[in-house]
Amino acid sequence: MTATVPSATLLGVEGRPVSVEVHIGNGLPSFTMVGLPDAACRESRDRVKAAFASTGLDFPKTRVTVNLAPSGVRKAGSGLDLPIAVAVLAAQGRVDPHMVAGCGFVGELGLDGAVRAVPGVLSLVDAIAERAVVVPAACAAEASLVDRVEVRAVSSLRQVLAALRGVEPWPRPTDRAAPAAPADPLDLADVRGQPLGHWAVEISAAGGHHLLLIGPPGAGKTMLASRIAGVLPPLTRGDALETTRIHSAGGLALPPGGLVTRPPFRAPHHTSSVASLIGGGSAALRPGEVSYATNGVLFLDELGEFPRSALDTLRQPLEDGQIRVFRARHAVSLPARFLLVAAMNPCPCGLAGGLACRCSDAERTRYERRVSGPLLDRFDLRVTVSRPDVAELLGDLRPDPSSVVAARVVAARAMAGERGVRCNAELSAAALDRVARLTADARRLVEHRLRSGRLSARGLVRVRRVARTIADLAMDDRGVVDEGPIAAALELRADAATLESV
Amino acid sequence: MSAAGGSATRADRRGRDGRADPDARPDGAYAAALLGLPGLWPARLAALLGIGRSGPGGGRAGDRAAVGRDAVRSATAAARSARAAWDLVRSGDAAEVPALRRLLGDADPEVVAAHWAAAAARVDLDVLWAAYRRHGVTVDVLGGPGYPPRLADEPSAPYVLFRQGSVVDLDGRTVALVGTRRCTPVGREIATEFGATLASVGVRVVSGLALGIDGAAHEGALAAGAGAPIGVIAGGIDRPYPVRHRSLWQRVAGRGALVGEWPLGTRSEGWRFPARNRLIVALSEAVVVVESREAGGSLVTAEIALERGVPVLAVPGSIRSPLSAGTNRLIRDGAIPACDVDDVLTALSLRSSPSPGADRRPPPSGDAAIILAAMGWDPVSTDTIAARTGLPPAALSVHLAHLELDGWVSPGVGWWQRRGPAA
Repeated sequence: MTATVPSATLLGVEGRPVSVEVHIGNGLPSFTMVGLPDAACRESRDRVKAAFASTGLDFPKTRVTVNLAPSGVRKAGSGLDLPIAVAVLAAQGRVDPHMVAGCGFVGELGLDGAVRAVPGVLSLVDAIAERAVVVPAACAAEASLVDRVEVRAVSSLRQVLAALRGVEPWPRPTDRAAPAAPADPLDLADVRGQPLGHWAVEISAAGGHHLLLIGPPGAGKTMLASRIAGVLPPLTRGDALETTRIHSAGGLALPPGGLVTRPPFRAPHHTSSVASLIGGGSAALRPGEVSYATNGVLFLDELGEFPRSALDTLRQPLEDGQIRVFRARHAVSLPARFLLVAAMNPCPCGLAGGLACRCSDAERTRYERRVSGPLLDRFDLRVTVSRPDVAELLGDLRPDPSSVVAARVVAARAMAGERGVRCNAELSAAALDRVARLTADARRLVEHRLRSGRLSARGLVRVRRVARTIADLAMDDRGVVDEGPIAAALELRADAATLESV
Repeated sequence: MSAAGGSATRADRRGRDGRADPDARPDGAYAAALLGLPGLWPARLAALLGIGRSGPGGGRAGDRAAVGRDAVRSATAAARSARAAWDLVRSGDAAEVPALRRLLGDADPEVVAAHWAAAAARVDLDVLWAAYRRHGVTVDVLGGPGYPPRLADEPSAPYVLFRQGSVVDLDGRTVALVGTRRCTPVGREIATEFGATLASVGVRVVSGLALGIDGAAHEGALAAGAGAPIGVIAGGIDRPYPVRHRSLWQRVAGRGALVGEWPLGTRSEGWRFPARNRLIVALSEAVVVVESREAGGSLVTAEIALERGVPVLAVPGSIRSPLSAGTNRLIRDGAIPACDVDDVLTALSLRSSPSPGADRRPPPSGDAAIILAAMGWDPVSTDTIAARTGLPPAALSVHLAHLELDGWVSPGVGWWQRRGPAA
């Protein structure tokens, strides 16, 4: 007696369809599982047996073989518990095979027969071709994001059995209206006395320009950076699904509605391993922080403290918007398209340029080398923030709150959208000639910087992109940029060459 | 013939190599080999060569100057050639030199001599000298024919001098520009400006090729395109230090000279720097300290200069700046204030350059004038200017860019600095 139940397994953030085949034959009692299951998957056998017992079902006392097809793909995780159990029930003849047909199953079993949540349900459900899918109740909201399938949310094996026998109807997922995402509690208005920093945050959010904040400890770099996600526009449906898929696959907690609607803000510590940053692991290939930050902000505090090997791995995602992770058996592409925001001290003690710096030349050179070169060049905005003035800290002048800034950002992004890009950071050099021509005055400023060797050709392209964003924020949609935006863009881009000569 | 080195060096070498016996090595080759032996310090080498002075440099230079130049000269004249000294060491007979026995003190001269003989036996002079020729480095022994006359009479002249470059004579008017390695942007600007102005009137800028003021002074001199600079180094000529200044070394050698007193391969260890400072003073008619902390290395140079009677000038700075504490103290102690490059030229009795005419920069108006007034003369961050003027960053950056174009301010990384009228 055999039975087949459709399910799926996770590789990176993508689901792969899996057919769970069970054969119950004659012979001494045994339970064999084939088809490249990983450790968690192989342990399924003990959970299924216990769940059967707790539910008051007899597990076959003969030879049970489970095959996970296609057998060449590694199966990871515990999501195959439920389909295995259902296939065993079908092979035993306890349920009508017609009731099982046309339905996919995903879920982990507890020893008491409970059906528990598994990571990556969105991708798994997407990978299952059937028109209905049975998922753990805890994942129902997330599974419902896949429009084409009928979601059946179950919380125990008993419930599944009852529905399959036609005793009870399939439980429908409770239709909870997704609550509006709560406003980011971090408001830009709380950061006082950093006019340049505020401006840089706004430009960075509006144009998708990677931002590097340089300054001594206590200047407010981290405060500013952690408020960027709050002024980014909410995610579009497509972006939200993509980010949700990644977060779910990594097992991150999802918001109550199941859909991540706010741009994520990820801030890995500088002691994080390279694998945790870019993703990895042997069988399942979990996404890393760069992927979790997709469509949001990746914030690297103390950039100079990250190991150079970790920073170098960022170059590919910054270029391609994805990261490829290679393992002996397979290679996986993980999305990694984020706004990079970094903060660093100008030197190990944080006081470079100041007169009280205690670092030796060698220490400072080492520190600069960590991030100089290609990575430093990726930052369109390199802004020095200094400790705020006492008068400003105590003054009544409040900077614009996040809500006001966010409105300007949305408007600027809409203008970029009309140019056919998500944000101005994606403008090609050719497009810049069309939408960011320089006026004579602006040309004069640029020429001076180019001649004095303080601006490179590549730097000029970035300066023009930033200038375009600054003009957009001022609601200036002409195809030319005047000296104002250019002067500001130059101001907001401390040149790598000058960084070294401080 | 190797392609390395400047034309003068090549000519120099050709003159010596072209003698009747092509195998004859210059005396310098033996001197370089001797200095390369372990424990053969310059003072011991001097004893071997029969030069009647002990230990180079240091605080007692003045006493030795009092001994009189004739005494030094006569001692020099009685020198044993480096080749003879080398043969002596090779044969293990170095211990027979009485001056050396006295110098060795407690050490057993026979043991030392045997040690040197063994080390010397391992030296291939051809290979060693080929490296010097490849680098275009000339080696001269005090009292020898090629030794620069400027140093020959110096009481603290190095016994062996290593030089590389296109203008390796050390003649001409010279001024040392020295200062802290970790200087302020203003100090760097002043050093560059002084270096450029001095070089443009033909003065040779002498400096230690260190980071900060030293490097900036030479950069300025090189930019002027005149006045062959002199870089005084603390190690071997083939070991650029700091590594960041490798290109500066090459450019200084290309237009002027690198001078040192250690054989190739010697690292620039800390203890060698005081001797370098002594050599800087010996080569200079005046010493200008641009910026120095309360206890900076450049103050040591100034001290040596004062002992030697070389005029010392110091650039005054803010009493609040720790980087001007050293120079301000020098002025308090009697150094000449160098308020502009004319003061340096006056100290050299050179015709002072015509004083700059009226400020030709277009005067700022409106907000630009307010910004300029609010900046003061210390480096200020853009945020600070914004706070002082109440102007938004967008307006600030345009005004600042214009002020930069007109030469009123110079930009740093996140800060700005007001500039005085161009010299």
